Amino acid sequence: MTTGQYFSFSRFRQLVALHWGSQKKLYLLALPAIGGLLIVWGVFLLLMDNNSPLDDGMQAFTYYWGLGLVGCVYSSTIFAEFGSKAYGIAWLGVPASALEKLLCGLLFSTVVVFVGFTLVFYLVDTPLVKIGNELIARQHRVWLGGYPIGPNPVWSLWGGLPGDNFDSHLHGLLVLYFILQALFALGSVYFERYAFVKTIIAFMVFLLLFLVLEKQVMAHIPPHGWNRYTLSNDWITNGDTLRVKEVRVSPWITGPLGLLVLLGIPPVIWVATYFRIKEKQV
Amino acid sequence: MISIANLHFAYRRKPVFSGLNLELRPGHIYGLLGRNGMGKSTLLRSIAGFLFPQQGSIDVLGYVPRQRQPAFLQRVFLLPEDFYLPPMALERWVALYSVFYPRFDQEQFRRTAAGFELHTDGRLDQMSYGQRKKALICFALATNAEVLLLDEPTNGLDIVSKGQFRKVMAGAVDENKCIVISTHQIKDLENLIDRVTIIDEGKILFDQTIDAIQERLVFRLSYDPEETAGAIYSEDSFRGSALILPNTAGEDSRPDLEMLYKAVMLRGERINGLFTQKQRR
Repeated sequence: MTTGQYFSFSRFRQLVALHWGSQKKLYLLALPAIGGLLIVWGVFLLLMDNNSPLDDGMQAFTYYWGLGLVGCVYSSTIFAEFGSKAYGIAWLGVPASALEKLLCGLLFSTVVVFVGFTLVFYLVDTPLVKIGNELIARQHRVWLGGYPIGPNPVWSLWGGLPGDNFDSHLHGLLVLYFILQALFALGSVYFERYAFVKTIIAFMVFLLLFLVLEKQVMAHIPPHGWNRYTLSNDWITNGDTLRVKEVRVSPWITGPLGLLVLLGIPPVIWVATYFRIKEKQV
Repeated sequence: MISIANLHFAYRRKPVFSGLNLELRPGHIYGLLGRNGMGKSTLLRSIAGFLFPQQGSIDVLGYVPRQRQPAFLQRVFLLPEDFYLPPMALERWVALYSVFYPRFDQEQFRRTAAGFELHTDGRLDQMSYGQRKKALICFALATNAEVLLLDEPTNGLDIVSKGQFRKVMAGAVDENKCIVISTHQIKDLENLIDRVTIIDEGKILFDQTIDAIQERLVFRLSYDPEETAGAIYSEDSFRGSALILPNTAGEDSRPDLEMLYKAVMLRGERINGLFTQKQRR
């Protein structure tokens, strides 16, 4: 098989044009629908929260839950139609390679959905935060204790979660979103029906197995008298609560390694999705 | 062109093929006949690379279908019985989809569509099933794919369109193309196919050209009870008994495919015996 049979830019462009041409109505209708839901949620918060509606924490919460829901639901449908004989033959029969079909699906489910949702979010969020600030100023709202409530800034996605935390430096939630989204894309090509629910179940089973492995196997690996306290700790101690001695991998190794593992998960899942598409039968 | 050797395939616990062998050559229109659920569609989807053999091999134009390489998909077109067309204007869909087929002939598409009285300025989601099928048939022919696999193509077509279908298909075949039409509506294929392949229970029961059938069998009406008694297969009709007889005198008759199909299902061994006898001679 020549390289051109694996990937060709012109064919990929044609595939993207075909997908956009046949699905653009869905995308264009989804944007105002998402915007409408965000407006309803924002207005609800403005009406219900008398202290500081739409502070940066609530904006971040809204963004990530909204993105997670929209992205995962869309990802779980992107290849799900392969389960239908008619659609599966139509899409798998297009003279393009499995890699091009995967990349086209990922372009729309990962990039387009992310960009589209983020644009709609800020289009809705910016005026709502402004309205919220005007309400705060007009009604002279104060915290308990009498301190005046100040105006809220529009939350910045690039700043991560508010405050000094893991996410504000490494965008951990965003990476987690792409991991979940890649998982749902794999689920959509793996399961023929009810991909969304089955992917959640499969993910939960995987998590359960991981926890069992952690508790039953990993906990027995340290030498006698040494303990690992939680899943997230990268240190072991001898002694019970007092850290008489502590062994820890250097943070300059665990930091980049952890990030590398996190960033490496979506591509690994995409590779699995590629092979699943290649082997898909309808 | 298409070579199938020792094909085994099963859906979970239901076996479909167990050791199927078949050779399909260019320059022919093959009629793949058989009852519902006997593996016709499975065979077409296996040839097109949508189902993978569990044992045995399939070679199409030198490609392994299951790899679904773009070059293979450009040269093999499957028109499935259940098909999907996106909700968009037909012309737009043709413009976006035809670029994947290097030999796509826009003029041929327009000509065939005109023959089917299909309005190319309509939207696919506003067309009836039959109209969408016509659109897909026009597209399939215009791709000029060397292997054209049509699964129940006349389902949903009106009487006039069935006639038009026969006409365009007859004009579509050339020495480089192989067209396989699967159907259980045998009458729709009369005067169109030049080779009959009957499949049942995952096996090829009969596989002969129309010329060979005409050479070895006679189809005729008869009132003669003696002749009827000696027929390989007979059916009563208002005009006497319709018979299939061995062609011992080199008579020329038009094969009735529906009768032939029934005869093969009931007296397959006897009919196939006539062909093997001739081959031995």
